Order: sequence, then structure tokens, then C-alpha cells
Amino acid sequence: MRGSGKYLPIVPVLAAYALLLLYGLAAPGKWQLVAQLAFYCALGQAFNLFMGMTGYVDFGYVAFLGVGTYGMAVTISSLSDGGLGLGIILIGFLAAAVFSTILAMAVGAVALRLRGAYFAIATIGVNEGFRYLIEGARIWNGADGIIFSRHLKTALGRKMAMTVSTFWADIFVFGVAVLAAVLTLYYLRNKVGYALLALREDEDAAKVMGIDVTRYKIIAFITSAALAGLLGASGWALKLTYVYPPDVFEIHYTVEAIIIVLLGGAGTLMGPIAGGLIYGVSKYFLAITLPGFQLLIFAPIIIAIIVIFPEGLVGILKGKVHGTSLEKFVI
Amino acid sequence: MFFEQLSGNLVQGLILGSVYGMATMGLSLIFGVLQVVNVGHGAFIMVGAFTALILFQSLGVPPILAIPVALLIGMCLGMIFYYGAVKPLVSPSGAGIRKVGRRQLGKAAGVFVAVMIAMRILSGVLDLNIAFSIFIAIILMYAFLVYVYGGRRQEKGPELATLLVTFSLGVILEEVVKQIFTSEARGYNWDLGKLDLGFTVLPFTKILASGGSLTVAVLLYLWFNKTRAGMAMRSVVEDSVGARVCGVNVDWQYALSFSLGIGLTVTSGVLLTMFIPVGINPYMGGGYTLKAFVIAVLGGLASPYGAFFGGVVFGLLENGSYTLLAALPGGEPFALTRFFSFVMLLVILLIRPTGLLRRKG
Amino acid sequence: MPLLKCEHVSKRFGGMVAVDDVSFEIMSGELMAIVGPNGAGKTTMFNLINGVFLPDEGHIWFAGVDVTRFPSYKRAHLGMGRTFQIPRPFASATVQENIAIGAMFGAAGGELNVEEAMEVADEYIDLIGLKAHRNKPAGGLTPIEKKLVEIARALAMKPRLLLMDEAMAGMNPKDIDQMVTFIRHIRDVEGIAVVAMVEHIMRAVAGLAERVMVMHQGAKLVDEPTREALNDPRVIEVYLGRQAEEFNAKG
Repeated sequence: MRGSGKYLPIVPVLAAYALLLLYGLAAPGKWQLVAQLAFYCALGQAFNLFMGMTGYVDFGYVAFLGVGTYGMAVTISSLSDGGLGLGIILIGFLAAAVFSTILAMAVGAVALRLRGAYFAIATIGVNEGFRYLIEGARIWNGADGIIFSRHLKTALGRKMAMTVSTFWADIFVFGVAVLAAVLTLYYLRNKVGYALLALREDEDAAKVMGIDVTRYKIIAFITSAALAGLLGASGWALKLTYVYPPDVFEIHYTVEAIIIVLLGGAGTLMGPIAGGLIYGVSKYFLAITLPGFQLLIFAPIIIAIIVIFPEGLVGILKGKVHGTSLEKFVI
Repeated sequence: MFFEQLSGNLVQGLILGSVYGMATMGLSLIFGVLQVVNVGHGAFIMVGAFTALILFQSLGVPPILAIPVALLIGMCLGMIFYYGAVKPLVSPSGAGIRKVGRRQLGKAAGVFVAVMIAMRILSGVLDLNIAFSIFIAIILMYAFLVYVYGGRRQEKGPELATLLVTFSLGVILEEVVKQIFTSEARGYNWDLGKLDLGFTVLPFTKILASGGSLTVAVLLYLWFNKTRAGMAMRSVVEDSVGARVCGVNVDWQYALSFSLGIGLTVTSGVLLTMFIPVGINPYMGGGYTLKAFVIAVLGGLASPYGAFFGGVVFGLLENGSYTLLAALPGGEPFALTRFFSFVMLLVILLIRPTGLLRRKG
Repeated sequence: MPLLKCEHVSKRFGGMVAVDDVSFEIMSGELMAIVGPNGAGKTTMFNLINGVFLPDEGHIWFAGVDVTRFPSYKRAHLGMGRTFQIPRPFASATVQENIAIGAMFGAAGGELNVEEAMEVADEYIDLIGLKAHRNKPAGGLTPIEKKLVEIARALAMKPRLLLMDEAMAGMNPKDIDQMVTFIRHIRDVEGIAVVAMVEHIMRAVAGLAERVMVMHQGAKLVDEPTREALNDPRVIEVYLGRQAEEFNAKG
């Protein structure tokens, strides 16, 4: 892994996303499916940056997507008369990242001091807690949510607003997915990744080796949260042009993130892509043939993976290609 | 007026708190013995709620008599889930550590296909839909792999794995119940009259629920302290290695505690519906999971009695804070109370992290 | 100036005093053994030096810095390495990565990037003779190989002091002799002070340490050059004596 070959695994990742995008553009009527798959890959990749790399589960993860959605919604609904043009979307993304980073710092300040199970307990109510804060204190229009399709049209014009929510929002999701993959690989190949590997394996031993574990946990937590914020801003806010608290703080998205990461292989670069594609495609077909049964079928599969194949698909593949020339592409 | 309301709410909080306390004892028992946090806790409460509802509505059984049924259902569920999913991860004797290879997988796939075909044939008789058939086939294939060939031991320690597994067990329960009873909210009406205290009115069903919780707590205390079986389980909490040396079958104690913990939790679902007999739906458990965690960290995560008293304190705090928050202008007191319990969780974890972080021993 | 200085250090757990008012010093490049029967407070002492626990009373100086309240990782940056009683290499990481992690984050860590750390790791792999296992996950090694990886990982940190927790427990006499030679070799070549904790293998103590501190019931009993310590009547009384008596009784 020395020298220029260090970042080679990004090649298959980019190829996978490029193929997916091309398929969506070329095959008629498949754009929604492709957009959904990109969303799941991005979700998995962002979630993996924390759960996969540190071995801590954040059951309140969807809260970061939720506040990101609000970041975009609040920006567009309040600045639509400012004549900012497309700049408003940039500001919206910025706000999304800032909102989720702030929430991550607040939650992390308490939760990241805790180990193992206590961390999970601290995070399990974050999404519910934040939802009820918004509803209870009537922040950002409280339980009514924010509908900003009108504002988006004011800011960008009718036609552009339409294109943004039907096409560019999905392209941004691809962007988030690629960004998350690049960051994952960068972390894996640098000191951050080795620090996270060490603390995931044995936190006490990691400290003794001179690793400031809290610092690296915070880095992973905030990166993962900020990416979730961007994902919420693109995949939800821009696409749907409304925010409704019970929807964006729904714990099922955390469940989906867990499934995707475990399916593909926690802590790997390509796992979340494999997991996202498999989960997305199966969910798509299950939704057609057996609507409402996805979780009933996926929940026992999570258990089966944990008990029988804890390393996930890419983990198994990594074992298979070990010592071959393909090794440097698969991580 | 305000104080009348406050004291009324506090009395309600006190009796609701005793039910909350009972609803958390199972969580603490399981953590105390197995060091497993049951993240699917609320789903088991939901099962209890449905037990009470169905028994009352279709057979006319008064909810208080549903308690033994719920305990039995819970203990059975606990045993099944323990041996099916939790044991391979936590077993102290290290049972079930073989690797699953290609041949075993092939056989398991065979089981899957066979079950699918059997289901297809049976589906006319049993009125099963195809999704349920897939579900059952997956479960059987999984059971085949785990039972015949064992699970694979977790290299990184069982913590992350057990969190995800208990979480998934909760999801499975929710989804199964949703398929059977749909996700609409239900309720029942069991009226035994009311006790008027002047500043507040207490239905007898609520008093009964509180009394039932207290009885269960006392019985559990007696069982732990006066019976051989209870003391054996306690010895595992104190020192699992020591207990094994003294001839306690730790494996069986694990299974028993998990089963008993789930049994208590399902039972508490019955008692909770006697308190709040509406809003019974497959996803009702989420809120209770959060509350149970607040209560458990209040009282010390590994101590069932601590959990009981934590529940009483939490009931008082919750209802007290509701009254105070309702007095604030411009807020939604119900939502703010739920936010408040989340903040309480973080604050407790923040101010007592060392005390709470320390594992036994 | 001593490399490590502990002054009146105490630690209590509940009512039990695990370490009771212990003071001692270690000079650069010294080979010292902390000896004592099970429950004497050796492991707690190690954890206090290392920052796993903070002392209730007393002060600890390391490399001229008051590290009493420092977390473990900061002590590691100052040059304190440690191995565990049961080796704890990072199981899914390869042997090379394990050792590189030590180089990356230990006392040498500030300047090394991943590639440089991997090169450093290769040097230590040669030193411990595990070249064949370089790219294997450490989880699959034998216990002795794991121990070697752990020592190499600690050495790659470029420590000035190496704390070895029961370095020779569970080894046969031949391995013990090899390990003693190895430890003396690293001291001689790299000038690292080594504190080894030993429960009962006197053969190792005699061959390894220049100085012995004997602990008994949390307190320091003696702190003398090895030969004197092993012949000290108080030591024989509380520690060796019992074994000697048993030996004599059997004999």
C-alpha cells in the first residue's frame, strides 16, 4: 500500500457510482430507483464512517439527517427573497452541515465520554428528543413542519426549481456518496484510520499506545454527522421541498443504515456500496411484490449476519482476495 | 389551582412511576446478569399490551388476570430469543463457536427452499401470505445453521453485536404484530369505578396496576433473597466466575435471567395498559424504551430494585415537569415532557459517568 | 534526574487500599523488577504509573514532567510503553499494522506518517523474527507470537520506559531465558529502562533485573539490588519463605 497505489480502491468505487448514474440516465423510468440506491449507498457510507470505523452504534443517527433537512428548509424558506439564485442551495448545504455538526458536538460531548452500551443508551433518544424539542417548543414552525416549494420557486424560478427537485437533488446525493467514500478511504489510509482501528479493537490498549481516543471518536462522529446533514439536505429537503418532524426523525432510517453497513461489511470502503445496492434493490422489489414486509424480512437477516457472518460481504471478499493481485482494490 | 393540579399530577406520577419501575426491572435484570442492554425493550412492553388487549376484548379476561399469561408468553419468548440469537454471542462456556462453511450453507439453503415449498403448499390451508413464508423460511434456515453448526464467536467482544441483535429482535416483534393486528392504534375500556381524592381522581384500574407492580417487585425481591434459585442468579450478578466455581450452571442462569427479564417486561406491558388503556399499536414501545433507559441509569443499570425506585422517581419527575411545562406559555407540554426525559438521560449520564460507567467488579 | 519518580502514591478501591504510600525512582536505562505475591498491588501500581487509574494521593513524575493527572495517551507521548499480562494486539490488524500503530502514535508519533511508520514496523518485525507473519492478522498468532508483537509494538513507540506486565507468565524455561536475553538486549541497544512485573518466576528476576522492588499488601517492602533483595529475610519471610518452606516440607 505504499506510494501511489494507496488510493487505488477509489477506482472501483467511482466506477460503481458512474455505472449506476449512467444506468439511471440511460434506462427510461429507472431514475427513481437509481436515486434511491444512491441514497442508500450514501447513507451506508456516512453511517459506516462512525459505526463501522469505531464499533459504536449510534441509534439516534437519523437525527443528523433530520437537522440537515431543516438546515436546507430553513435557509430556503427564509432567504428566498434575497435574490441569491442558485447560491441559496450552497448556503442551504452549508447550513445543513453546520446544524448537524452542532448537534453532533452537543450529543458527542456527553455520549463520546461513555463506553460501549452506555454510548448506545445515550444516543437512542436523540432523534425522538430533537423531534419533541421542535414540536414542543414550536421551533421552526413546530409540529406543522416547513413547506418551502413556493420559496424554492421564488428563489430559482419555476422551471429551475422543478429541475432541482427532480434531478439535481439526486445528483447531489451521488455527490454526498462520493464525498463520503473519499473521506472513508482517506481516513483508512491515514493515521485517523489506524487510530480508529485500534480503538475499535481494544480501546484501553489504544490509549496506552498513545492514541487520544476521544479526539478520534469525535473526528469520526462529526464527519459522519455532517455527511448525514448533507444527505438530508439533498436527498430529502431538496427532493421533497417540505420537512415534517415525524418523517425526518423516523428511527427506521437508522435501522436501514445498520442493515446496509452490516450487510456489506462494517469498517470497509466498499461494504456500504454493496450493502446499499443489495438492500435498495431488494427493498424495491419487495415493495412491489410484498409491500409492508421489508423489515419483517430484513430484521432476521441482520441477526443472521451478526451471528453467522459478522464481517459482512466485503469482509468475506477481502479474505478471499488476500494475497492476490486484486488485494489492493478491495478494502 | 396550580398546586392542586401539581399535587394531583404528583399522585398520578407516583402510581404511574411504580408501574414504570416494574417495567424497567426486566431491563436491569438482563443487564445485571448478562451485561446485555436490551435495546428492543419497548417492543416486549408492546407484546404485553397486546396480550392484555386481546385477552380482554376477545375472551373477556380482566387485564389483571392477564398477568400470568403475559409472564408465560414473555418467558417463552425470552427462552426462544436467548437460545436463538443471544446465546451464540454471550455464552460463558463458549458454546457455538464453529465456523460456517460452504457445505453447511448449502444445506441451510436447502432447508430454506424446502420450507418455501412446504409453505407454498400449506399456504392454502394456513392462510399464510408469501412474505410470512419467507420470514419463517429465513428463521428456520437461520435456526438450522445456529443449531447444527453453531454461531461464530465475536472477535471484538459481544457488546456491539448484542445491541444490534436485541434491537433487531424488537423490530421483528413489531413487524410480526403489525402484520397480524395492523398498525392502527387500539384501546380497551375496563371500568372499575374511581376513587375521588378531592384534588384528583384515581380510577381503580390504575391503583390495581400500581398494586400489581408493587406485588411483582416484592415477589422478585423475595425470590432473589429467600430461594435457592434466586440466590444462584444473584451470585452470577455478583461474580460469574466465582458462581461457576461454586457449582452454579452459569449458562442456564443466563438463559433463565434473560427469560425472566423478558417475562417481567411483557408483564409490565399489561400493567401499563391498565394505566393507559389507549394508543396500543405495534410501534408504541419506542417511547417506553427511552423512558426505561432514563429510569435504568437513574437507579443503576444493573440493579432491578434500583430500577424500581428509579421508576417511581421518574414518574414523579415526568408528571411534575408536565405540570410546570404546561404553565409555560407557547409550548406543547406533552412534547416538551418527552424532550425533558431525553435531556434527563443525557444529564444523568453526564454528571455520573464514572459511577455509571463502572462495570461490576 | 530519575526517569520516573513516584512519591507517596496511594490508591483505594472502596475500603481496600490497593497501593499504600509507595515511593520509588527509576533511572534511565535501568532494569527493574516489581515482585510480589498475587494481590500485592503490582498491577494497580502499573496502572497508576501508566495512567489507567489516577492516584488518590501522591505524585508521579515522568521525564521531568508531573504526569499525576495525565491520561495514558499523553504519558505514551512522553515515552512510556506498556505490554499487558495477556497480550492484546489489535486482532484484525496485521502484524505490520500493529507495530506501525505503535510507531505512529507513540513517543515517535508526532513526526511519522503511515508509510514511515510501516517502514519502522518492518525493522521491528525483523528484530522479533516474525517476517513470515508480516501480513497476517495478529488475532491468528500463537500466544508467544502475540506477546512478541505486543513488545515490538511497544518498542516501536520509541519509549524511554517500558512497563512489562508479567512478561514471562506461562512460558517454559527455555522461552524465559530467551525473553530475558531479548529484554537485556533492547535495554543495551536502545537504552530503554524496563520495569518488569513478575509474580513468581524467580529465575527470570535473577537473570533480568538489576534492582528489585518487592510489594506486599499494597506497600513497598524492599527496594534493593537484585542479589540483596532475593536474600533479604523480610522478602523470604513474606514471599519466598513460604515457597521455600513448602519446598522443604515436600523435600
